[in-house]
Amino acid sequence: MIQLLKIEWLKLKNYAAFIVLSLFFILGILGSNYAVFYLKKNFIDQADPTKMIASSSPYDFTYTWQTTSYVSGFLLVLPGLLMILLVTNEFSFRTHRQNIIDGWSRKNFIDVKIVMAVIAALISTVLVFITAMLFGFASGSSFSLLGIENIGYFFLKAISFNMLALLFAVLVRRTGFAIGLFFIYLGFENIIWAILQGLSMKFKIEYGFDIGYMGNYLPLNASDGLLHFPKNAVVDMAKNSSKMPHDYMYVSLALALAYLVIFYAWSRNRIIKTDL
Amino acid sequence: MPVLTIESLRKDYGRIQALKGVSFSVPKGCVFGILGPNGSGKTTLLGVISDILKPTAGSYKLFDEEPADHHRRQIGTFLETPNFYHYLSAVQNLTISAAIKQRGEDDIEKVLETVNLAQRKNSRFSTYSLGMKQRLAIASCLLGSPDVLVLDEPTNGLDPVGIAETRELIKKLAQQGKTIIMASHLLDEVEKVCTHVAILKKGELVTTGKVDEILANEDIVEVGAADLGRLQQAARQLHGYSSMKQSESILQFYYPLGTANLENVNRFFFEQNIVLNHLQLKKKSLESKFFELTN
Repeated sequence: MIQLLKIEWLKLKNYAAFIVLSLFFILGILGSNYAVFYLKKNFIDQADPTKMIASSSPYDFTYTWQTTSYVSGFLLVLPGLLMILLVTNEFSFRTHRQNIIDGWSRKNFIDVKIVMAVIAALISTVLVFITAMLFGFASGSSFSLLGIENIGYFFLKAISFNMLALLFAVLVRRTGFAIGLFFIYLGFENIIWAILQGLSMKFKIEYGFDIGYMGNYLPLNASDGLLHFPKNAVVDMAKNSSKMPHDYMYVSLALALAYLVIFYAWSRNRIIKTDL
Repeated sequence: MPVLTIESLRKDYGRIQALKGVSFSVPKGCVFGILGPNGSGKTTLLGVISDILKPTAGSYKLFDEEPADHHRRQIGTFLETPNFYHYLSAVQNLTISAAIKQRGEDDIEKVLETVNLAQRKNSRFSTYSLGMKQRLAIASCLLGSPDVLVLDEPTNGLDPVGIAETRELIKKLAQQGKTIIMASHLLDEVEKVCTHVAILKKGELVTTGKVDEILANEDIVEVGAADLGRLQQAARQLHGYSSMKQSESILQFYYPLGTANLENVNRFFFEQNIVLNHLQLKKKSLESKFFELTN
């Protein structure tokens, strides 16, 4: 696998889009978190003094893991985009054929791409971890690993994004089409998510029927549903009535893993079994 | 030991049958042409043995073994189009190919010299002309000096100089004892370069064997007489022809190129008391041979 990854690195290191997207991603994570950090500190807290009492900065330790993971999650489309480009490039240059012709097995070809998706998720996660620490210290609180599981949820979300992007690339093959479809799917899933969230509340409130937030059972929202912006304690108290559906986190977690297995098996099967 | 053995290979694309049960084998050390018009299944066949297409039925062996990844690493294959990373240079692309083939990088310079690309070795692939892309693909096949080369229409898209150079290169490689499997729709090319040939037509194998036997140029002498029976009887005494065919009311005698002599034929039958009512010499061109084989 190390040998395969070395070859993959040869393809990647001179690819302009890789450098540009990576830069956007790094700056995006730092920038978006800084924006939230700055806005909260200088505008929201000063405009509403009650909130100042109720909550400290969302970047204080214990919260920073959750806040940074949540805010950075929106930028995961960038590594997803890179995954799509890496795979559809092979199809448009027909190098997916040449790699096999030259002696890779079909399994080599798809497995190294899957490992790339995992590595990209790992690097993103490390970046978020460092950013969370940075802002945690910047907000003047003392270090704590409480809430670190949110970094794990971020990793899960990052893998889910990358693996879904990989699946789209393998199924669609054409760069523009795959990217377009990926974004349409993201929008589409969020519309369905909103409808399902509404239905879940309706079920609970009107019929006393609690199956949790169904929107969080969708492929990308399963991992996304694990990440929230830290709740404001006061607002939370008002909201946290038994009227709302229960947040079945373990169902979301299990489903997120199950979807990953599907993305993995489907894209692998596609490459191994069909004509290239 | 055959380098490649194909057994009853079939490949369907939906309702279209691209290969309809093709079998043949490629002996070691030959230049083997796969000849056929466009759409006859040549590239499909090479795609199957390169593991980028899954056969519908049938099987193939490489080096007399069940095909495996390491076999492909020992074969330099150029299939259909030059497939390279557009944003990388020739050297960067060949570095990737060499790594996949598990060969060293030391002969990258050498193969680029061989195909006359050394001067442009650091230019991006996307800036190459069609002929240069083609030559880079051939260079990639030569990496690690494999014993077997598979070339799909290697001279397609090259200018006349490039075509001549490529054919020379193939001959030179053959002299070094390499086995070359080459698909072409150009009969002339197969005749000039190959020692063996398999002719495909609409996914079926028409014939296979040595080029000089299959694509032999022949003179055909057609004769006719009122009494065909006597004509046939007398023909047994006629010398010099290699085969005889009867078509309707005439007989065709096949002679090696340039050896048929109408006067002698006429005199022979006249001396046998047979008066010919039809006597004609037909020169058979390669093209008509090709049409005969593929139509």
